[in-house]
Amino acid sequence: MVPLENYLVLSAIIFSLGVYGVLARRNAVLVLMSIELMLNAVSLNFIAFAAYLDPGKITGAIFAVFVITVAAAEVGLALAIVIRLFRNRATSNVDEAAIMKW
Amino acid sequence: MGAEQAWLLAAIPAGVFFVLAIFGRALPRGGDYLGVAAIGTSFLLSFFVLGDLLGTEDKLGPITSSIEWSTVGKFELRQGIWIDPITVTMFGVITTVALMVNVFSIGYMKGEPRYYWFFAVLQLFVASMLMLVMADNLLLVYISWELVGVCSFLLIGFYWEKRSATEAAKKAFITTRIGDVGLLIGIILLWKATGTFDIHGIIHAAEAGQIGQTYLFVSIMFVFLGCMGKSAQVPFHVWLPDAMEGPTPVSALIHAATMVVAGVYLTARLLPIFEVADGALLVVTIVGLTTALLTGFIALAQTDIKKVLAYSTVGQLGFMFVALGTGHPAIGMFHLATHAFFKALLFLGSGSVIHATHHNQEMEKLGGLWKKMPITGTTFFIGSLALAGVPPLAGFWSKDEIFVALNDKWGLWAVLILALAATMTAFYTTRLFIRTFMGKPMDKHIHDHTHESGYVMTGPLMFLAFLAVTAGFVVFHSIGKGLGLPGGITEFIFAEHHGPHEYEIDWGFAAASVVMATIGIFAAGWMYWGNSIERSTALAERNPGIYQMFKRKFYFDELYQAVIDRGVLGFSYVVSWFDRYVVNDTGVDGSAQVTGFSGGVLKYLQTGRVPNYAMAIALGVVGLTVAGLVVRG
Repeated sequence: MVPLENYLVLSAIIFSLGVYGVLARRNAVLVLMSIELMLNAVSLNFIAFAAYLDPGKITGAIFAVFVITVAAAEVGLALAIVIRLFRNRATSNVDEAAIMKW
Repeated sequence: MGAEQAWLLAAIPAGVFFVLAIFGRALPRGGDYLGVAAIGTSFLLSFFVLGDLLGTEDKLGPITSSIEWSTVGKFELRQGIWIDPITVTMFGVITTVALMVNVFSIGYMKGEPRYYWFFAVLQLFVASMLMLVMADNLLLVYISWELVGVCSFLLIGFYWEKRSATEAAKKAFITTRIGDVGLLIGIILLWKATGTFDIHGIIHAAEAGQIGQTYLFVSIMFVFLGCMGKSAQVPFHVWLPDAMEGPTPVSALIHAATMVVAGVYLTARLLPIFEVADGALLVVTIVGLTTALLTGFIALAQTDIKKVLAYSTVGQLGFMFVALGTGHPAIGMFHLATHAFFKALLFLGSGSVIHATHHNQEMEKLGGLWKKMPITGTTFFIGSLALAGVPPLAGFWSKDEIFVALNDKWGLWAVLILALAATMTAFYTTRLFIRTFMGKPMDKHIHDHTHESGYVMTGPLMFLAFLAVTAGFVVFHSIGKGLGLPGGITEFIFAEHHGPHEYEIDWGFAAASVVMATIGIFAAGWMYWGNSIERSTALAERNPGIYQMFKRKFYFDELYQAVIDRGVLGFSYVVSWFDRYVVNDTGVDGSAQVTGFSGGVLKYLQTGRVPNYAMAIALGVVGLTVAGLVVRG
C-alpha cells in the first residue's frame, strides 16, 4: 500500500502550486482556477487521512463532498463577478480592478 | 373624623394646588376662592384635631397612625403622622396665618399676572408645612422640608421678570440647601446608629444611651445645620432679607408661619436629643444669641420697611433658638406662635402700605400715613408694640418667659446679651413705625395718592391684631384651662423629664423687660419724633465706620461674594483649565488626533489590488506558522 506520506506530499505540492497561481497570475479566471487547485489539495488531504486513520467511516469523504459543493458555488459566484468586471472594464486583469480603496 | 385622619389637613390644600395649577387659568378669578376654602377647611379641621387630642387620656396624646410604606429585607419603612401638643400648636399657627394671608392676597395680588399660580403655590406651601409638622419620621420630614424649600423658591421668584427676584430666589434656595445637606447627613447618621427613621424611636434610643456621645453630638449638629439654614440663623441668614423680593403676602407667610419656623419646629421636636448630646444646647443658645444681636444692629440702619421687618424676623428666630437652648420646647413654641401672629400682622400691614403707596417701601419717602390709613396704622401700631415687647401684648409674655428660662439655664451673661437685642428690637420697631406713620410726609406726591386698603386687606389685619394682643395670655393657667387645655402653654407642651410647670410672673424680669422696651422706644422717639432724621444723621456721620458696618449688614454679603469669587471661582478656574487643556485637548482631541493620524498613514495599505491582499494572507499564514513553531519549540 502506498504510504500516507506520499498523499500528503502530493497534496502539499498541489496546494503550493495553487498558492503560486493565486499570487503570480494576473488573469482573474486563472486565479480562480488556482483557488480550485488549493481546495482540491485540501480534499485530497481529507480523503487520505480518512482512509488511513479512520478506516470504515466516511467522515472525510463527506467533508470532501462538502468542499466540492462549496467550491462549485464559489466558482459560480466568482465567474459571474468576473463577467460583470469584463463587461464594465473590458479586462479580466486583477491589477486593473483596483478602485475599491481609499 | 378622628385625628388619625389629620393628614387631610395637608391633603386638601395639596389637592387644590393641583386643581389650581392645571385649571386655575380657566377658572373665574383664578380660583382664589378655592385656595381660601382649602386653607379654611384645614383651619377648621385643626380644631377637630385639637379636640381629639384633648379627648385623649391625659389631654396630651400623642395620637399616631402610620402605614407600611415599603419593606427591604428586615427593614420596614413606615410613614405616618404623630399628633401631639407641638403639632397642634403648629397647626393652629400655620392655618391661622395662612388663612389670613390668603384672604389678604385676594386684595393685594389683584390684577397681577399669574394670579392663579400664586394661589396654587401658596396652597402647596401650606400643605408641605402642615405635612412637615405632623410627620412621624425624619424621612417624611425631609421630603416636606424640601417641598417647603421649593415653594419658597417659586414664591420669592414670583416676579421672575425682575432679575433681583430670580437672584433672591436662587440665593434663598442655595443657601438653605447648604443647610439641607447637613440635615440629610444628620438623618442618615441617626438612622445608621438606630436603624430607624422614626423620630420617637430615635429619641428613645438617644435617651437610653444607645448612641455614643460624640457620634450623637456630631449627627445632631448636622441636623441643626439644616435648622439654621431654614431658620436663617447666622451665618445662613443672608437669604432671608433678600427673600423680600417676593410678593409681600408671601413674605408674611414665609417669615411668620411657614418656611423659617420649620427649623425652630424641628429643633423643638428633637430637643430631647439636643439635651442628651453634651454641649448641643449651648451651641443652639450661642447661635440664637449671635443672630439676635447681629441682626439687631443691622436692622438699626435699614431704610426699607420690609428689610427692617426681615431682620427683626431673623432676630426673633434667634430668640426662639435661645428659648430652645434652655431645653424648654414650650417657650420656643410659645414665642414662635406669638411672633407668627404679630409678624404676619406687621408684614401684611407693610403690604397694605406698599399697596396703598403704589409700591413704595422706602421709609425715606413715607411718613404721616396714620391719618390716611387709620386701620393699617392702628393695627401696625399694635404689632409694633407686640414686637417691642410692651405688656400686656403677646410679645411681652413670650420674651419674658425666655429671659426667665435663660437665666435659670445659662446665667446672667446670656440674659444681658439678649436684653441688648430686645432693646434694639424696641428701638428699630419704633423707628419703623414713626418714620412710616407719624410726622409729616416726606414725599408729598406719594402721600396725596395714598388711600386706605379695602376690607379684604384690613380684615385680616384686624384679626391678627386681635391675636397679637391676646395670644400671649395662653401662658396663664386659668386662661389655658378656660380654652380647654390642661393649663397654660407650658403645661401643654413640655419635655418629658422637665414636666409641666405653671407659669408665674417673675416681677423682677417683667420690670426689667418693660424698662428695656421703654428705653428702646423712647430712644427711637427722641431720635425720630416727627419723622426728623437730623439726630440720627448726625450720629451716623459722627461714626461713619460703624454706621456703614450696620448699613452693609456686617459685610456678610461681601464676605460671601469674596469667598465665592476667590475660593469657588479660583477653584473652578483650575478645574476648568484641567478640563479644557488636559481632558479636552489631550484626552478627547488627543485620542481623536492619534486615530486620525494613524488612519491617514495606514490607509495606504489598502491598495484595492486583490494580489496584494492574497500576498498578505499568504505571508500571514506563513508568519503565524513560523511563530507557532518557534513558541512551541
